[in-house]
Amino acid sequence: MTDPRRWGVVVIAGVLALHGCTTPQPKPDLLAPTEAQMKIRSMQTREFDVKDRSEAMRAVIAALQDLGFIIERANEPLGLVTAERFAEPNYFDVLGITVTVRQETPDRMMIRANAIYNNLPIEDPKVYQNFFATLQRSLFITKE
Amino acid sequence: MSIVSTLRIPATTIKGISLALGLNLTLLLHGCPMPYEWRHEGQWNSQDQIWLSEQSQVKLRAAQSRVFDTTDRRRTLEGIVATLQDLGFIIEVVDEDLGLISGKKFVPLEGRNFGTDHSYHLYNDQRLLIFTKAYRSWGPFLHRSDLVRLTVSVRQRNETQLVVRASAQFYLRAIEDPVPYQQFFRALEQALFLEAQRVP
Repeated sequence: MTDPRRWGVVVIAGVLALHGCTTPQPKPDLLAPTEAQMKIRSMQTREFDVKDRSEAMRAVIAALQDLGFIIERANEPLGLVTAERFAEPNYFDVLGITVTVRQETPDRMMIRANAIYNNLPIEDPKVYQNFFATLQRSLFITKE
Repeated sequence: MSIVSTLRIPATTIKGISLALGLNLTLLLHGCPMPYEWRHEGQWNSQDQIWLSEQSQVKLRAAQSRVFDTTDRRRTLEGIVATLQDLGFIIEVVDEDLGLISGKKFVPLEGRNFGTDHSYHLYNDQRLLIFTKAYRSWGPFLHRSDLVRLTVSVRQRNETQLVVRASAQFYLRAIEDPVPYQQFFRALEQALFLEAQRVP
């Protein structure tokens, strides 16, 4: 086996064999929340002292615009905003975010953000911290 | 004297043939048709989806539906949105009047282990075309099967109850196994602080 071409064939055959080809079946826990998701949930959620829901929504939209997102959907009655943008540095990666605003108590709003990077969820708490810092600023400016 | 030497077939050709046979045998033993298309039934339009269903529709509907003792449609929809977020779904459609919420979740099933896949980066399941600087092609169909889609609908059952129905798709087929739905409704029960009952 010294011929490099033969090694090439063997490698290709190996890759093809390992590629896996049976139809995947859904796992029973496909629609069950996992431990990891619960962990991200706490850093995706933050409460703000805002009474008016539409004010909070406007602040969320403004914060997303500050961060360079293009707003795709904004549903006021359900308090849902989704936005997307191309990500630095090469701008062919896509960054998407879903934000929900919920009235927790009459004078407190619970805001939750889910961010995805090329279809996969972002698990870095820093990203969410940045978002909420921008949102805090935006809320302050909207109040003025 | 062997046949090979009488037929005067060059030794390299024989080696090539045996290698090809070996490769085929490996694939056969693996029990798998190789290309992506072979793993999928041809679905030319949405009607084909209906014929793919194996279970009884009544049974499937029972597995997918639950009754909640509430009439607060708004709160139920909010609970569904929260549950979908918990499960890592990206919400795509929300219609309060129709009581409809749809979302998708990316579960990488199709291997993309051959270097960079340009179609992956600009993947958008709503589009038929992809545009990138480096790569021009027809739609990114390859990753369509990586999406788990979930549609949840809410409708009034009677004066005091709502029916929530969830239907999910995995690998371009409807999920007919009741277990994932049970898990989903368990998560929804927790979000709504209500107990779900099966549709009698």
